[in-house]
Amino acid sequence: MRFLLDLAWRDLRASGRSLWVFCACLALGVALVSASGSLYRLVGAGLLADTRELMGGDLEVDSKAPLPADALDWIRARGKLSLVTELYTMLGTAAGNFLRVELQSMDANYPLYGTLRLEPDRPLAEVTAFADGRWGAAVDRALAARLGIERGDTIVIGALQMDVRALIVEQPDRNLTADWRGPPVLLAAGALEASGLIQPGSRVDYDYHVATEILTARWRADFYARFPDQTWEVRTFEDRSQRIAERLGQIASGLLIIAFSTLFIGGLGVFNSIQSYLQRKLGTLATLRALGLRNRRLAAVYLLQIGMLAGGASLAGCLVGSILALLGGAAVAAEVPIETTLLALPGPNLAALLFGLLTAYTFALPAIGRALSVAPAILFRDGGGELAQTPRSWWLATLGGAGLILLLVLLALPDRLFGFAFVGVIALLLLLLDLVVRGLRRGARFLDQPRRFRGRLALRLALANLHRPGTPLRASLLSLGSALTLIVACTLVVASLLREINLTIPARAPALILYDINSDQLGAVRDAIATADGDAEVQTAPLVRTRLSAINDRPLAEHASLAVDLDAYRDAVNDDFKLSYRGGNIDNLALVEGAWWDVDTPGEPARLAFEDREARRLGVAVGDRLTFAAEGREIDAEVVAIHRQKGLQTRFWFEGILSDGALEPLIHRHVGTVFMDGDVTFDAQRAIAEVAPNVVSIPTATLLATARRLLGQASAGLAVVAAVSLGASLLVLASVMAAGRSRQVYDATVLNTLGARMSTIRRSLQLEYLLLALITSLFALALGAAIALPLLHWRLKLPGDDLLWLGLLAAVAVSTVSLGLGARYLMRRLHTQPAALLRAPN
Amino acid sequence: MIEIENLTMSFPIATGQLDVLRGVELELRDGETAAIVGPSGSGKTTLLLLLAGLEQPHSGRIRIDGVALDALDADGLADLRRDRLGIVFQSFHLVPSLTALGNVALPLEIAGAADAEARAGAMLERVGLGERGKHLPMQLSGGEQQRVAIARALVHSPPVLLADEPTGNLDLETGARIIELLFGLHAESGSTLILVTHDEAIAGRCQRVLRLHEGRLIEDAEAHALPA
Repeated sequence: MRFLLDLAWRDLRASGRSLWVFCACLALGVALVSASGSLYRLVGAGLLADTRELMGGDLEVDSKAPLPADALDWIRARGKLSLVTELYTMLGTAAGNFLRVELQSMDANYPLYGTLRLEPDRPLAEVTAFADGRWGAAVDRALAARLGIERGDTIVIGALQMDVRALIVEQPDRNLTADWRGPPVLLAAGALEASGLIQPGSRVDYDYHVATEILTARWRADFYARFPDQTWEVRTFEDRSQRIAERLGQIASGLLIIAFSTLFIGGLGVFNSIQSYLQRKLGTLATLRALGLRNRRLAAVYLLQIGMLAGGASLAGCLVGSILALLGGAAVAAEVPIETTLLALPGPNLAALLFGLLTAYTFALPAIGRALSVAPAILFRDGGGELAQTPRSWWLATLGGAGLILLLVLLALPDRLFGFAFVGVIALLLLLLDLVVRGLRRGARFLDQPRRFRGRLALRLALANLHRPGTPLRASLLSLGSALTLIVACTLVVASLLREINLTIPARAPALILYDINSDQLGAVRDAIATADGDAEVQTAPLVRTRLSAINDRPLAEHASLAVDLDAYRDAVNDDFKLSYRGGNIDNLALVEGAWWDVDTPGEPARLAFEDREARRLGVAVGDRLTFAAEGREIDAEVVAIHRQKGLQTRFWFEGILSDGALEPLIHRHVGTVFMDGDVTFDAQRAIAEVAPNVVSIPTATLLATARRLLGQASAGLAVVAAVSLGASLLVLASVMAAGRSRQVYDATVLNTLGARMSTIRRSLQLEYLLLALITSLFALALGAAIALPLLHWRLKLPGDDLLWLGLLAAVAVSTVSLGLGARYLMRRLHTQPAALLRAPN
Repeated sequence: MIEIENLTMSFPIATGQLDVLRGVELELRDGETAAIVGPSGSGKTTLLLLLAGLEQPHSGRIRIDGVALDALDADGLADLRRDRLGIVFQSFHLVPSLTALGNVALPLEIAGAADAEARAGAMLERVGLGERGKHLPMQLSGGEQQRVAIARALVHSPPVLLADEPTGNLDLETGARIIELLFGLHAESGSTLILVTHDEAIAGRCQRVLRLHEGRLIEDAEAHALPA
């Protein structure tokens, strides 16, 4: 064994840098697998270890109103209780800036888990207390940086002017989406009351955090049993862990799928690289066998070499992947209060190392088997290695390796559904690819007839190279095609999103969106806006929050789809259904079924356009009757239409639009849009804040800027992943071209010797690569569109089919540049003197 | 008519330069057959490559049918090979991606001939491989590959046929059959044949035998009768 190891190492060292493509392909793939897996573990471990802290307790009872005394007594008897009262509103600064924030008022028991850290380090009660004629507040540090406010500054909350007395350095249960939905501002319960923001109809959340020794599932079951008629929702930290784990698992699965794809594409580079390497080693192989080295020992030498190379490349990949994961983990930790630990790294890296080794062996085995099956006698007589076939046993070993990899992929992906889908898609893709390659080869063979392209030798040679044995068509489609597919899909999604954002800017989009206008404030708000811009157009619509109580006069509990699923029932019962009138169709809703009613025709019951997603979830169709409940009243309505939200342009997300008059006694609040000159939105916000401080006003420009920023970050991340994937693909392509280069130079030399001009030969090569680029681009466009268009249509509700040209443009541009560079490299090698080659044997 | 005047060719080596050809002179009339013989490294293949315009001599001149090769650029030389030369190599040098028929049709297609496929098919029939037209070179034996190469060299009826050790990679029996085929087809075509060989017996079948010795071309005294 020592001899074989020594022989393998010496032979490998003598091979110089000929296997760099092997190492680079493997290292890139392993780096992505390691980075994705490690980042998932780093963030997952951090988040899941702190779920109690992130939620603020073992359980949380959510209510829209303060719990009655008997419920509080019941809870206190079974654990420690802390109440956090939450309300979204506008915060104003002395400089006149406004931003949506989440007011949080907490009792003395807060926090039940973790520590609230303020700067300066003073108790929360002291910071928020009423002193020197003012209430105090602690504001989120990110919010302070965004608005440029400091300790000692004045902020306006509702009717109150408050002092900023501290910045929040660390809040254990800070909402993961706080930066997007509204950063926290902590204040005393008295201040919240004095702000005038809590009125009938206000959207106040009462979150009762509970720390208990009792098993949470048992606690929740007992609570529901004790208060069966209430709609309070109890969430446990395990629920939250499960939700976080599910969401993280989905994101990680997505990333890992791209990583595995890159690794497997890299496997093609491994195959090509090893094949070229062994082709050059045929003489050595023959010599060693002639000297008496048995096949099994000879195989061991090359298997050892694969192990050495794959081990080294995979370790390098793991190192790069770990660094990427640590950088990513640090970026996440800057946004979310989690602690990352290096202990999360060994597991994913060991897995990545194993994947690297298995991939290398699986892709290298056929080439080794074929090289070892070449008879030494043939080798000595002539270069007859091309005649050899890979023996069946080596193919079986390859299949075994592939099966093992797929099994490990299934085990490694956090979301099992993703795993099965991935394996299924790979199988489908390979089948599709095979059919496409067969079809193309057949087509090329059909076209490659002298009578079809008489006098067009260059085109015929190019076509011949597409259907000949050993054509690079399959490898090109698989390597470059896969990377291009990713690029096409990303291009379509990102371009569609960007277009939607840009479409929202023009004059048709409102400059301001208003929430929470009380009925008695409508006039004042309109007047305030008019002072800022006399030509402003204000549209308002009532917004009534209700709950669904019955479908076709049967209580929800008896509804077939909900009766068997308690959680679905509780969700349906607790969900807010936001209802409004059609009016000027303030949210641009589009009907997908049924028709709008004639406003002049009164009717009983009220007519309703219901949202399509809710209709699907509840199994509701046109013709059904729904009963909504609010403030002790019931509203009956017949579903006459189904509407669909306008995707990103949706502002209010109405679940139902009712015929005029149906909501009348329940209307207390309104939403609105303001069309005005974009330059004076700021003045309008200030004017609104003066007369109606509770009204939340959000400039569209701010929403768009945030959307663009998020999209920019997502695009940058996708671009990095796509670039790595493309890098691996280009390496594979380079290995394919390198393997084919000697063949092409040889063909060109023979042709030139027979009288073909070099210009004709060059043209045939250009045509061959152009055809490859075109076929690869179309292949990628078809697959990329198959991924992106359903995603855009079903998930984002955006059209994308009219952007296919952009996807094709991206694919053609990248493939033309990639293959063009390859063709240029080849052209430069074509200057070889034919005589020099023809002196050597074939 | 092939005319070679004072042809010299040398290659750089570690100790200076190796003179392979020194003032070679030759004149071959249309339809003549000539064998070039000599030990390994004597410059036989070099001379053939120079005749095909695949290498440039250091000095001297080659004329084929009155056209001086040194006056032609790369495209002109390619056109000359297309129109006037047929070449048979020791290692066959078929294009592996083309079928036997495709290989034979190549010179005609390069020339833009309208009936390339039909003529190539007929030529394959003449070398006894009519049934193997759709096979790739790797699916043919060495002897079959050389027959395809001969068909390719003669399909466009070139005035000059150059053959470099055409039996060098074949066993005796197959080699003998190939030589019969080559001389038979040559006799039908009436082209000028220059054959490089080690084999004195094969050389003896040519009208003229030219020996390369220390860079000079020396003709055997006993020449065969010229064709009528």
